[in-house]
Amino acid sequence: MRIGYYLRLALKSLARTPGLTGLMMCAIGLGIAACIVMLTIYHAMSGNPIWWKNNVLYAVTMDSWSPGEPFDSDRPTLPPPQLNYRDATYLFQSTLAKRKAIMYPIKGVVSGAPDQRHPAPVLTRATTADFFAMFDVPFEYGGAWDAAADRTPGPVVVISREENDRLFGGADSVGRTILWNGHPFRIVGVMGGWWPKPRFYDVINGAFDKPEDVYVPFGWGPALQQLPVGMVACWSDESRSTYTAFLGSECNWIQMWVELPNAASRNRMLALMNAYAVSQRKSGRFQRPLNNRLTRVGEWLTEQGVVTNDSRLLLRLAFAFLAVSLINTAGILLAKFLRAAPTAGVRRALGATRAQIFLQHLIEVAALSLAGSALGLALGALGLRAMHWLYAINTVDNSGYQELTHFDPAGLAWALALAFLSTFAAGLYPAWRIGRMPPASYLKSQ
Amino acid sequence: MNIRPVVSALLRNRVGAILVALEVAIALAVLVNAAFIVGQRIAKIAEPTGLDQQDMFAIAMAGTTTDFDAQSSARDDIAYLRSMHGVVSAAPAGTIPLTGDGSNGELYLEPDQRGGSAVGSWLATDEQGLRTLGATLIAGRNFRASEIRHLARGDIDQAVPEVIVTQSMAHALFPGRNALGQVVYDRQNRPITIIGIVRDFVGQVGFGSPPYNVVILPQVPGAYGSYFCLVRTEPGRAEAILHLAERHLAASNATRVIFFAHTLDYYKAQLDSDDRNMAIFLVVVTALILAITCLGIFGLTTFNVSTRTKQIGTMRAVGARKRDVVSHFLLENAIIVGLGVLIGCTLALGVGYWLSMEYGLPRLDLYFLAIGVLILAVIGQLAAWQPARRAASVPPSVATRTV
Repeated sequence: MRIGYYLRLALKSLARTPGLTGLMMCAIGLGIAACIVMLTIYHAMSGNPIWWKNNVLYAVTMDSWSPGEPFDSDRPTLPPPQLNYRDATYLFQSTLAKRKAIMYPIKGVVSGAPDQRHPAPVLTRATTADFFAMFDVPFEYGGAWDAAADRTPGPVVVISREENDRLFGGADSVGRTILWNGHPFRIVGVMGGWWPKPRFYDVINGAFDKPEDVYVPFGWGPALQQLPVGMVACWSDESRSTYTAFLGSECNWIQMWVELPNAASRNRMLALMNAYAVSQRKSGRFQRPLNNRLTRVGEWLTEQGVVTNDSRLLLRLAFAFLAVSLINTAGILLAKFLRAAPTAGVRRALGATRAQIFLQHLIEVAALSLAGSALGLALGALGLRAMHWLYAINTVDNSGYQELTHFDPAGLAWALALAFLSTFAAGLYPAWRIGRMPPASYLKSQ
Repeated sequence: MNIRPVVSALLRNRVGAILVALEVAIALAVLVNAAFIVGQRIAKIAEPTGLDQQDMFAIAMAGTTTDFDAQSSARDDIAYLRSMHGVVSAAPAGTIPLTGDGSNGELYLEPDQRGGSAVGSWLATDEQGLRTLGATLIAGRNFRASEIRHLARGDIDQAVPEVIVTQSMAHALFPGRNALGQVVYDRQNRPITIIGIVRDFVGQVGFGSPPYNVVILPQVPGAYGSYFCLVRTEPGRAEAILHLAERHLAASNATRVIFFAHTLDYYKAQLDSDDRNMAIFLVVVTALILAITCLGIFGLTTFNVSTRTKQIGTMRAVGARKRDVVSHFLLENAIIVGLGVLIGCTLALGVGYWLSMEYGLPRLDLYFLAIGVLILAVIGQLAAWQPARRAASVPPSVATRTV
């Protein structure tokens, strides 16, 4: 094999037309960079951050909405994404699911930590004990509270790593007490780093927001008569002037997730939901056609429109850009190789086979591909940094769009493959074409 | 101008010509559709908000304890803000315009939700609200101080007997008629009189109510244990006064904290950010595609010229003038670019149609197509201009050389 020799020939040939080689490399580099940037973001946006549990986690939704109109006129077949207090607490009582969690975001103010000069506002999630095990939330210290604390509700709290850093300088604060909304709460767990993108368990209230810093048992909102701060959607005409009335009203503000290990338990859960809805019809509720669902995370993200049309459009644009770059390269390579046809003719006359000519030019294509890909990856990394900067100056404090621009090792390998293979493919035709040239016509002096 | 030699030269390298034409076609399709989309996004960003958002800011307050007295806290905070030097007006608010923070609801023409209705954002504020928002009354009157209701904690959903609405809301409820003095009903069948109509401004966004439909309620919020303070300052002083206010208010009352504080300009920038980013990306990628296409044409033409020096020399030797050589290459390029533009038109229209189906964008305006064709034709020819001119300087003697 004369790979080394062909490589030398290839490099000489590329160096002979520095302008054209530079143009090809830049075109490929830019095209690949654009694809890498858009693919990274698109992949991050559309990915399922808990894909390993995609077959067991389900969002629970029921259509208890107004008989006169669907919840969302743009997506009329979908039930409301949240449940109301009555239905959520009823469903939560069932023991059919292996794990279950009901939740809502709520405002909180934390004080009483050592060295804390002012009370600090924190976004809090009121949820139930299974939340953490269900979503594989890592813990640095301690763990979740137990089911008993859900019932009372117990004055226990789980805080994030960042909050622990802020309040206790990162020390093991399990067992210590802080004041949440003026009441003493005991810390039972400190989470590890956790930022699923998108925030699949609550795409309604900020799909790319950072997860909350404080978690308390579900019952604390009602116990303190505090209203949720997420989306609250109400349809009926009953009075809601007191907190108790609010709890009993047709206002949807609670999201529910269950873990169902197999199809049998899933069917049982669905049957329970349907039976409940039917039984509620006697009191005039659930007047809409039966539309109770258990939706997997992947479908949930699609249904709730987490990936925007814009990002899909930009992805396609990036591929169009790559196509232009590759066509450009193919055209230039074709012209170059055909111009060098006399040399190839001489080689053929001296005994080289078509395959060897093909291989020689393929090596040149490969060398160009490698160079272009390397440039493309470097530019792609730069481009992602630029996007990060662009998002950082443009979006709200805790929104996580800039987190989407992180380049992970799997993505890097994937991008390398895309870059090299696409450029290589562009050069295949020119290399094959030059191999087919009959040598005789080029050996003539004219 | 003899076209035969041009065509036969082209046919000798069919694939090369087709590749360039394809490049031009894709470039045209991208240029036309990207320009169209960018135009729409710019128009969207330029839509008036009806507010002087550069002179306004909002502070979100929340109580630290369960027995927090939102009403007196709000009273103190607003009083302080109104006393600040440079503040034109301040008022409590239940919704921050240009954000999703707030609420919306429906007003009905008749009780029991019979008859027509309209959805609007609910903006609870006091008698200084209109002045703070900069909302101009075009009919009716503002609230009186005595009409303002103060909600205590737990007063989640109180009745208001009168409201002020924006023009759009009035039109949505009573198209073609005067909405002033009319009685509408809320979901709980409580009658509400429209006592004033103001010029449109944007209320809550992102939760399904049309942006210019706003219902202003005479209410100081506090049921949630939280409230917003809306402030209007003298021109150019919003940032500075916001910082001063934040510093003072953070420490002035231990029973409540500032959850966040931003200028309305900041919120407008948030709203625009998706569209702005999209426009930037589209412009950058389109410019790059055009650059690559032109550089490709330039590079290829230069290359072809250097490959065909014998042919050029022969042409000159048999009597072609310099400018005939230039025309030869320009014509060759024009045919390729023309072919590309032709394919590109179909591609552009196809992509435009597909975009309108897939993303619900309006159909492509043919005006953009015409401009796009013109641009691509011109720069496609310009790209080949210099190499063509260089071709003209090939001396005729090249024809007689054997090497």
